[in-house]
Amino acid sequence: MTLLEPEVESDAGRPADGRRGHAGSGHGSARGRVLGVAQWVALGVIGVLLVAAVLPGLLAPGDPLAIDPAQAFLSPRWGHPFGTDESGRDIYTRVVHGAAPSLVIGVAATGIGIALALVLGLAAALGGRVVDFGVSRFLEVLFAFPGLLLALLVITVYGPGVVTSTIAVGLATAPGYARIIRSQARAVAGAPYVEAAVVLGRSRARILGRHILPNALLPVFVLVTLGIGQAIVWAAALSYLGLGAEPPTAEWGAMLFAGKNYLATAWWMTFFPGLAIVVAAAATTVLGRALQKRGAR
Amino acid sequence: MISLAGVVTASALLIALAGCAADAPVSVDSTPVAGGTLTYATGFGEPTCLDPHVGGNMPQALVGTNVLESLFSQDESGAIVPWLASGATVSEDGLTVDVALNEGISFTDGTPFDADAVVANITHMKDPNTASSTAILALGKVTSVEAVDPLTARFTLSEPDSALQESLAQTWLAMESPAGLARGMDANCEAPIGTGPFVFSEWVKQDHVTLTRNEAYNSAPAGAAHSGPAYLDTIEWRFIPDTATRFAALQSGQVDVIDEMQPDNVVAAASSDQFDVLTGALPGASIRLELNSGYAPFDDERVRKAFIASADVNPGIESLFFGTVDRSYSVLSTSTPYGASFEDDYAIDTDKANTLLDEAGWTSRDSDGTRMKDGERLVVDFPISTNQSIPAEQSLFEQIQATTKEVGFDVELHPLDLSSWYAALGSWDFDVTSAIYTKNSPDVLRILYHSDNIIPAPSGYHPNNAHVSIPELDALLTEAGETSDAAVREKDYAAAQKLLADGAYVLPLYDHLQKIGYSTTVQGLTLLPTLQIPYFGDTWVQG
Repeated sequence: MTLLEPEVESDAGRPADGRRGHAGSGHGSARGRVLGVAQWVALGVIGVLLVAAVLPGLLAPGDPLAIDPAQAFLSPRWGHPFGTDESGRDIYTRVVHGAAPSLVIGVAATGIGIALALVLGLAAALGGRVVDFGVSRFLEVLFAFPGLLLALLVITVYGPGVVTSTIAVGLATAPGYARIIRSQARAVAGAPYVEAAVVLGRSRARILGRHILPNALLPVFVLVTLGIGQAIVWAAALSYLGLGAEPPTAEWGAMLFAGKNYLATAWWMTFFPGLAIVVAAAATTVLGRALQKRGAR
Repeated sequence: MISLAGVVTASALLIALAGCAADAPVSVDSTPVAGGTLTYATGFGEPTCLDPHVGGNMPQALVGTNVLESLFSQDESGAIVPWLASGATVSEDGLTVDVALNEGISFTDGTPFDADAVVANITHMKDPNTASSTAILALGKVTSVEAVDPLTARFTLSEPDSALQESLAQTWLAMESPAGLARGMDANCEAPIGTGPFVFSEWVKQDHVTLTRNEAYNSAPAGAAHSGPAYLDTIEWRFIPDTATRFAALQSGQVDVIDEMQPDNVVAAASSDQFDVLTGALPGASIRLELNSGYAPFDDERVRKAFIASADVNPGIESLFFGTVDRSYSVLSTSTPYGASFEDDYAIDTDKANTLLDEAGWTSRDSDGTRMKDGERLVVDFPISTNQSIPAEQSLFEQIQATTKEVGFDVELHPLDLSSWYAALGSWDFDVTSAIYTKNSPDVLRILYHSDNIIPAPSGYHPNNAHVSIPELDALLTEAGETSDAAVREKDYAAAQKLLADGAYVLPLYDHLQKIGYSTTVQGLTLLPTLQIPYFGDTWVQG
């Protein structure tokens, strides 16, 4: 946790400092007030999750796939703090090792969504009326489908698996981001400082890169933090449906799915992976909210 | 996508029977009550066609047995008893079988049941356009059928068939109204017409099938508690693929009877006052892993032997199945005659497995510990049918994956819905799989391991998934299938099973049990011994 907090702090601070005057707000004094107890806890949780994702052996040295049928269905106890599953695998070890696939899917899917949204959103905002009309109608069609349904459609066509489910979740989140980027970029494009840059004879690329992009991205950056939580939940949902990670991979959604058969007899098989999903999604959401408030001030 | 279907079905509205969960247990000797609806939830999946002549699988047999009846039945000991037929006379050379039919039976559309109906049915099953796999294989030796007189059907065979009457007892070879068959495949698939205690009255796809009482029923099977029409008005046949949801539906009183129970649920239901469990070992092959010996890496006997010597099954059977099943060392289920047991051939020996793999040239290992040969990893593709394998069984497969990993196998488990799984099997796109095959005779060995059955049936399914092709085995299975001498059959089937064990084509796991859970308000529920399928002709629901 201590390792990460300066990094996160400076990430949040940098765009504001680098955009002197353009966004029209000063944040320097808000810093201390934004990070309350909940935010510090969220940061701590994210820190632990990152350690679990990068160096799972540090928190749980065991093998998440090691079976021991003689130790099956043990309730939480000393040595197995989260209990064991139907094949005697340690659930604590599996939850820790499950952080990497779950987080990677969440972050990668959000990344795919944002990248696609940037292209579509900027094209619509800056590409002229015809392009704007085409892209906007296309986004409206995509909006007609609930996100998860869109993801299921992609998986039905391209087959289940971790890669497809990541791409599917990414595609499903793209329309929302694209709309926000479009309206933001349009607003920024009409701002006096952009007009000033045009009058000063700056190149189009420079105007786009220095003025429009950073300012159009600010609200999106906050949304991304919120979106990662949602993407984690969606990825888990797809794995739960058997469309993501294949058994017996340690992945939270897949663990939930395996555990639900024994819900009546072994509650710990579903409780702990479920808790991990809730905590991970809640932590990124709390942090995203804090950033959102900070941006709004 | 089966998982999607699962979600849809699980969230489908379930009709609850008024007040059935709260009732106290009732004594068995109470008098039958006519009327009422029974709700049955199956985990075997929804048939794509209700006519069991088409294809021919367990979901069709389950829902069809109470509508479509067979020429023969079997008693508890497996002996053939009359049903729609009163008996059979086999000629000296074994090539002509005269089946005598019972008089006065009609199909529910009014068509009389006679020898012409038998001819129409056998012709329908053998017609390639029917796309049968089970019936057409069972009738492989039947060249023609003719009506000698209205109550005698004469079967002419190319070779003697010791299993013919057993085959005819199965629901996949049930008798349907010739007028119904004449409607064409699409109409007949929707609602085949039989002589049974119930009639198919409605099929709402992805939701339920409704069976309604046949008021004119007069052909109860041997062993039935009463003759004449059934007590129940209707049976609502629902599809709930998810095991836990199915048991929860039983517990909450939304359904009265469920099948394919999880072992932990069997234990819970058996110890409860409100529920009971009916079990029966399904005849035919045991639950087993078939090693695809036609393609690499299992085309090498040493690799097959290494896999079997490293796949530790017993600890999983003990912990996952809560004492509800026993380990099997035979490809035949215990309820099938002539089952042998070769415990020594399936002993765990990792040293032996490592030596065998070294000898077979799989000498180096990659960073995961998977063995390599000529740049190829020792990958074993394992498609799993999520319809046919209960979760405990899938967990057992995960344990086999973990124990075979120690000697360098990389087993990749792929849970698939039924049609994707059939497609993978049909194109030989697998190295190991678990396929159930229910048949009430040791002749199942011929279906599963005779080299002829590597070639797919008209439905596209090839039962010989292990790709076994041994001339000596073919000869033994053919002889056993033709002789009526029990001693010769016993000797042949023992030798055939030994050949299969020696060649390491199959890893037997345990007997396939029919596990029916039901509310104690349901009375008079029995399993028909032929295929261990629930019979509802004597069943009533306590108000």
